[in-house]
Amino acid sequence: MNKSWRWLAVIIIIVAVLAPLIPQLIWSFTFRWYFPSLLPGVWGTQAWEYVFSKSSRVGEGLINSLNLALVTSLFSIAVGLPAARALALYEFRGKSLVEWLLMVPIIVPGIVVIMGIHILFIRYRLTGTFLGVMLIHLIPCIPYMILVMSGVFANYGTALEDTARTLGASSLQTFWYVTLPGILPGLLVATMFTFLISWSQYVTTFLIGGGRIITLPLVLFPFIGGANHAAAAAISLVFVAPALAVLIFISRSLATESSIMGGFGRL
Amino acid sequence: MKSATKFHRMAIVMLVGLTLLAACAAPTPQTVVVTQIVAGTPVQVEVTREVSVTAAPQPTAVSETPPVYTSWDEVLAAARGTTVYWHMWGGSDTINGNVDSDIGGPMRDLYGITLIRVPLNDTADAVNKVLDEKAAGVETGGSIDMIWINGENFKTLKTAGLVYGPFTDLLPNSKYVNWDDPAMAFDFGFPVEGYESPWGHAQFVMEYDTAQVGDTPPTTFEALQEWIHANPDKFTYPAVPDFTGSVFIRHLFIWAAGGPDPFLGDFDQATFDKYAPKVWTYLNDIEPDLWRGGQTYPEAAAMTDLLANKETAFNMGYGPAGASLNIAKGIYPETIRTFVFDTGTLANNNYVAIPFNANNPAGAMVVANYMISPQFQLTMADPNRWGWLITADPRLWGQHDQDVLASYELGVATLSADVLAAHALPEPNGAWVTAMEEGWIKNVLEK
Amino acid sequence: MQRLHLIEKLRVPLMLAPSLLILTLLFVGGLVVGLGQSLGYMPVIGLNNFTLRHYVDVLTDNNFLQSLWVTFRIAFFSTLFSTVLAVAFALILRETFVGSQLSTFMFQVPLPIPHLVAANGIVLLVTQSGLIARLLATVGLLNSPSDFPVLVFDRAGIAIILTYLWKEVPFIGLVVLAVLKSVGPEFEELARTLGAGRWQRFWFVLMPLILPGIVSTSIIVFAFIFASYEIPLLLGVRFPTTLPVWAFNNYRDPDLNLRPEAMAVSIILTVISIILLVAYRRLARYAVTA
Repeated sequence: MNKSWRWLAVIIIIVAVLAPLIPQLIWSFTFRWYFPSLLPGVWGTQAWEYVFSKSSRVGEGLINSLNLALVTSLFSIAVGLPAARALALYEFRGKSLVEWLLMVPIIVPGIVVIMGIHILFIRYRLTGTFLGVMLIHLIPCIPYMILVMSGVFANYGTALEDTARTLGASSLQTFWYVTLPGILPGLLVATMFTFLISWSQYVTTFLIGGGRIITLPLVLFPFIGGANHAAAAAISLVFVAPALAVLIFISRSLATESSIMGGFGRL
Repeated sequence: MKSATKFHRMAIVMLVGLTLLAACAAPTPQTVVVTQIVAGTPVQVEVTREVSVTAAPQPTAVSETPPVYTSWDEVLAAARGTTVYWHMWGGSDTINGNVDSDIGGPMRDLYGITLIRVPLNDTADAVNKVLDEKAAGVETGGSIDMIWINGENFKTLKTAGLVYGPFTDLLPNSKYVNWDDPAMAFDFGFPVEGYESPWGHAQFVMEYDTAQVGDTPPTTFEALQEWIHANPDKFTYPAVPDFTGSVFIRHLFIWAAGGPDPFLGDFDQATFDKYAPKVWTYLNDIEPDLWRGGQTYPEAAAMTDLLANKETAFNMGYGPAGASLNIAKGIYPETIRTFVFDTGTLANNNYVAIPFNANNPAGAMVVANYMISPQFQLTMADPNRWGWLITADPRLWGQHDQDVLASYELGVATLSADVLAAHALPEPNGAWVTAMEEGWIKNVLEK
Repeated sequence: MQRLHLIEKLRVPLMLAPSLLILTLLFVGGLVVGLGQSLGYMPVIGLNNFTLRHYVDVLTDNNFLQSLWVTFRIAFFSTLFSTVLAVAFALILRETFVGSQLSTFMFQVPLPIPHLVAANGIVLLVTQSGLIARLLATVGLLNSPSDFPVLVFDRAGIAIILTYLWKEVPFIGLVVLAVLKSVGPEFEELARTLGAGRWQRFWFVLMPLILPGIVSTSIIVFAFIFASYEIPLLLGVRFPTTLPVWAFNNYRDPDLNLRPEAMAVSIILTVISIILLVAYRRLARYAVTA
């Protein structure tokens, strides 16, 4: 009984996860494919030729998306890590207010904020700049970094660091040799979240990037629901590849380190 | 305890300070200039697409005026080696690729100009951006150098004084455009007056599947109505404000009025009310037998897919050669053909305009000039490349170029230029279009 | 010594300052400007007087309730189904068995994939001429695309909900899984020895443990879906639209006078979202203590 349930679940997971990915894989190699054929009548590589051509701007979008996601993530770490530690390990007056302020972008719909800030960014000439787009991506990224890492810090505690310090290690040494290895799996997961949040942004990049900063979502968006499924599918696959690579890298920490995803339960 | 309270107070003071700072960031000294220029009062809130930035820009300071050129040589000198940001609708991989190779390529080779396409979902986004920049006081060095534009969007910008120019007299190739033809000098009934330069010409055609419809398509609206009722679920049109959906409805108004004339002048509510009920009755009558029972209306781009998979039997659009190109690209089966209504189909031009605050108007002018050259117009007319209709008047070309144009063979599903020309109708004035779109939303979509 | 004391005292404020500074400036700044515009204060286009008119306009619009209902329905059902499925899969995946590692990995795959890609895949899968329809036609269950149910651009928003399910089940599932793994089997063993049945063990032992995680993640998911624009725009009907689509379409209109209305719609959206989430959290707390 238990066993057949398991097998059913395994099959459902695999089929459901692959179901939306398989048609995209097939379509990306399609030239002619009309209803009701199960497979394309004529295969072709036109879509991939388009993706690799300069005029598709997929390459440019890929580089911009990667750069933005990496810089936004590094910035989120630099800014969010100390805050997460402070929230996890220190008690202070006004803590709940600060906690609320730092978490509020996760709960409060961002749409009004983005539309409100747009005019300010135009005035200060931040639209159409890398800096402007990165700043707007930070709004959802920093709270996620803090959310995950405060869970990790709280779980990790200070005992090991205290020991290291009593043994004569400097603050820098303590951080590098004791703290960092301890929080690293969690940090990787948190970075994956910030990376992917930035990686998936459409509305924010669209408004603030103003077409000057082309990222992959901007390249893909006009094709979804359009007639050229082959091109849409091929661009989608380019969009998926780096994200999947990131997942393979941290998959184990995601499933085994309970404190990391558990951080979301602390909201 | 005391210090903790202090910290608490300090934190609150800091937060309040930051909030105020952020709030005050809105009115900066520049606002003074802007509010003077802007005569906008909040009267027009109910009217969509009404222009809010109404007054023309006043040349306030020297640094705030756009560059002025008196000769083509000056323009060329200023344009060489620059970058031009061209904001244009980006949902067609064919057009994207063609623009890069057939306009971007020559620009790089001839003038060292880097042409960067900025893809849009909707041209209104670019118009919106120019308005935003105006509102935020960005008078020079704006982010858009050139916009693919026509109709209502051009009218919005020009009425607000937010286009650069007039500049077409400066373009040497402007001599190939027959500006005496009202079809060129007026864009949806609105005078161009040198503020935008044409490139492609467009005429509406209907596409149908001979395998489903047979060889004689319904070329009148009465016949179409009958066909729809006899074949439920096989016809639809895109929802406005989609460009294509909007033009389909315009055709119905012209059909209802027995010709385009009532809609060429200024908007008149009485005339509108006279013909509108017939159109809404027609559309509501066919609605239950439309694709999806009229529950929803597709995107223009999705219509292609519906026809390709025989979910519907018709598509429509502004590209007379689009069906032939789609057959060649494998998107359409080979049974697709095109037709025009006996009562005629609308024709208009694609233009490019330069925003008032463009960073590089000289570069944009060089690109616009190339786009009306015989060389590019021939590339555009080539059925195997673009398959577009041209805006230049070939009679003003040299004999060789005219011969090349005459030698082109039509695509398999493309109607001849003569048939198209014989059925061409002028576009209604922009105010009519807005009223028709709003009327459709109220009387058909939300019914 | 005095200096060290000062550094010690400033430590926490210094650690928090960068995050607070950025988020307050950007988030609160944007919120305040947006709030101002929704109240008709937009000096750049000559609107200088505060007014509640735009809120009145939106709230008395015939389509407002319809749009609100569509927005709520999509967010509610996406969240509800995601949560139920996520808990079910987490309960299965917490145990080790042949293929559990593979399943756990596959379960995580949608997590990093962007919503736009998921939407594109769902479209290609479930339109009337999509892969499922082709599959059914191949085995002879379907004659023409119109025999297949309408799942994309439909009034119920099925394709939208499917897209969100595909994306959010793994997210909630992994959080629940993390909690389940950290708990270990001891509590359940204890309950079993005390004679608790399978259902009782789930409801009275596991549920209180995983409930905080479920509440938090479903709040995140609901808030995200309630305010998102891209997927309802791409896969939804043109009318009635969701509130974020309404707001953003007005914002993108070349008529700048529609901006205050766009802002009013999104402020209303924000307020409703917060009210719903606070009520939900209260309810969940009450359920835990009861």
